[in-house]
Amino acid sequence: MAVTIRRLEESDEVDGFDCGDEPLNNYLKHYAWTNQEKVSIGVTYAAVDESAPRIVLGYFTLATSSVPRERFPQKFVRGLPPYDLPLILLARLAVDKRFSGRGLGHAMIAEALKITLRVADEVGCRCIITDAYPDKAGWYARYGFLPLEGTAAISPQKMFLDVRTIRRASSIDSFPTERE
Amino acid sequence: MPPEVKSKKAVALPAKAPTARKTKFQADLAPSEDSMVRILKAELQMTSNTDFLSDALALFRWAVSERKRGHRIVSESSTGERKILLFPRLERVAPEVTLPHIDIPWTDKELESLAELASGQPAEPTDALIRAMRP
Repeated sequence: MAVTIRRLEESDEVDGFDCGDEPLNNYLKHYAWTNQEKVSIGVTYAAVDESAPRIVLGYFTLATSSVPRERFPQKFVRGLPPYDLPLILLARLAVDKRFSGRGLGHAMIAEALKITLRVADEVGCRCIITDAYPDKAGWYARYGFLPLEGTAAISPQKMFLDVRTIRRASSIDSFPTERE
Repeated sequence: MPPEVKSKKAVALPAKAPTARKTKFQADLAPSEDSMVRILKAELQMTSNTDFLSDALALFRWAVSERKRGHRIVSESSTGERKILLFPRLERVAPEVTLPHIDIPWTDKELESLAELASGQPAEPTDALIRAMRP
């Protein structure tokens, strides 16, 4: 399978997508394109196989955000830049369950992190935040995402990854051997 | 450039699907460019201009497709020094990284936790993150 990850396109086939989670299925089928092209509240990237380049096998959605400096507790602001904290939100990431276990999730998070670095280089951002389902928090932790304290019990777990950590990873030349 | 030898002799072809008609390609090259073509062909041990153009086209096509996906084209020396290709025509096809801006609801405790992490020293990358960032 030769996977390409690119922006979602209007003619992409999303009706058959099933990641096993209805809100994530519904988002792709009913909102992703509209949110990307019409109301501009998130850009969705689709993973497709080059042999069937219209069928979406997985997707993730990114947006930017920022936290006003005055909202941070006083005791921490000295360590922060003297302006709002820019960040990227990895809002959703899902793989069609028929294609799970083939490295699509890894390929997509890798692409999301590379986009994060490009944004950081071009317009600046300090970190990437994701909303992880509790049972997926361990998967994000493998990539270095750290849980934020204080997430409401019924909400997804907000997790944090510093852009400086991502940049450091991208500059490491010798790669660790595969581990499971 | 040396002309390609073309046979004018009519031959009976075996019955098969007709092949697509080939298009002739002619280019006016400055002497320095012509010299460069000859040198490259010699280095690559190519004798045919057609093969040369075909390989150059494949490479250019790949570069365009990578840049269209927003990927950068990087060369890396044996000592790890990296150079990024900046080719003005390729930059025209590169997408701008434009992501929309949204507001995220935060609890006070989340903001405290975020501030603590963002103001501290960054964590060392994990093995999975290092693998994810491989070019």
